[in-house]
Amino acid sequence: MRFARRAWIVVWKDLTIEGRSKETLNALLFFSLLLLFLFQFALGPDRERLASVLPGLLWLGFIQSGLLGLGRTFVGERENDCWDGLRLAPGDKSAIYLGKLAGNLLLMLLVETILLALFAVFFNVDIGPAVPGLALVVGLGTIGLAAIGTLFAAMTAQVRARELLFPVLLLPVQVPVLLGTVKATEAVLLGEPLGAVAHWLRLLAAADVVYVAIGVLTFDFILDG
Amino acid sequence: MTRALGWLATLGLLGGLVMGFGVAPREVTQGNVQRIMYLHVPTAWVAYLAFGIVFFASIGYLWTRSDAADRLARASAEAGVIFTGVTITAGSIWGKPTWGTWWTWDARLTSAAIMFVMYLGYLLLRSIIEEPEQAARYSAVLGIVAALDVPLVHFSVYWWRTLHQPPTVMKPGPVNMPPAILAALLVNVVAFTLLYTYFVAKRVNTLRREHEVLA
Amino acid sequence: MADNWQFVAAAYGLAAAVLGGYWRRLVRLDRKLAAAQARRRNRPADKTHKIQ
Repeated sequence: MRFARRAWIVVWKDLTIEGRSKETLNALLFFSLLLLFLFQFALGPDRERLASVLPGLLWLGFIQSGLLGLGRTFVGERENDCWDGLRLAPGDKSAIYLGKLAGNLLLMLLVETILLALFAVFFNVDIGPAVPGLALVVGLGTIGLAAIGTLFAAMTAQVRARELLFPVLLLPVQVPVLLGTVKATEAVLLGEPLGAVAHWLRLLAAADVVYVAIGVLTFDFILDG
Repeated sequence: MTRALGWLATLGLLGGLVMGFGVAPREVTQGNVQRIMYLHVPTAWVAYLAFGIVFFASIGYLWTRSDAADRLARASAEAGVIFTGVTITAGSIWGKPTWGTWWTWDARLTSAAIMFVMYLGYLLLRSIIEEPEQAARYSAVLGIVAALDVPLVHFSVYWWRTLHQPPTVMKPGPVNMPPAILAALLVNVVAFTLLYTYFVAKRVNTLRREHEVLA
Repeated sequence: MADNWQFVAAAYGLAAAVLGGYWRRLVRLDRKLAAAQARRRNRPADKTHKIQ
């Protein structure tokens, strides 16, 4: 399948570049650590208050790092004059979209896992029993963020005021994902069964399907002309 | 043609005012402040209509690359943002005497606020991209994303506010709709829809002529 | 419950101001374009400047 091969080449290229410089990964990890400290300073040692705001904080952290990482999706192409290379690539351009999406997903999931572990350690929260549920919620939420994030990153890559426009466009659209993930994370951390938040999980899954479909169908129009 | 629409809209709005203040009765629980509903609900409906049109016009543009579709999308987005702003403001003003606060994270107001910001972003994107063809293409994609997101926003915000929470005691809008109130509401819905149509027609017209004058 | 007519007036008043304001903007654009097009018709050889 040439389509899958093209998508894979994009993933492999981005991961190799990232693997060599670790530029984005390091920046995101450092940024996440800073967020951790910030939250701790802002909240103080009050454990009860912490438990109630933890899901929101966690996802604030994920979204902030997500914004940073996603916004940079096409920076490599733009800075190195490779944008036309993308445009002139043969075949279905949505393969590029999926490749970029996969790369972003991998990076974001890695940072989120590390951040989650750091949260558990620094805030002394036992997340052990919640891990499978968390994995599902974080997975669904990250796909939603990355799907539209990758599309909007392409849209704003060549535009002035890119750093401002990207979050301004992305955040309102991501409200359903934000609400769904925070609510579901809350439930999982409280030890509730996943069935209790089934409607949120269904919403997240539906959102993911819609977002990826839109990305696949419209990416071509972003690269065009 | 546009002028006829303008006159029709004016007539409609006057009729709406007559219905809303003359024919509709004083509401039992809230008193006359409930009459804001004849403004708030129709503008909310028009806002959704406007963004629905943006959706179809955006698809139309990407499919046919017709400049007319692009102009329609842009005009409808402008009108939509205006009407959404009015909806939120009227809703907020209505909320002050009935709920006691200017703003509450009520499901409808919150949804409207998110929609407002999304489509403000649409207009911002259009104004930032200099090349007209690129602006048209990119905003078409954004228009499609935003429109498909609206139901997701709706559900998520509604569940966020209502599940595991007692319903608010005083909600804008009567619980049962006596025929006079319903009639007044419908007349105003038609009136504001006419106003929207007039705005869009006029805006599309000026956009087309702007293009011709510059060509 | 008190009638709160001032809130009704505020809501309708603001709406009228916003909608009326947008309408005035459209009308002004309309007139500017009509003037530009008239100038163009009278002097077809000249290039029209971009209108602000």
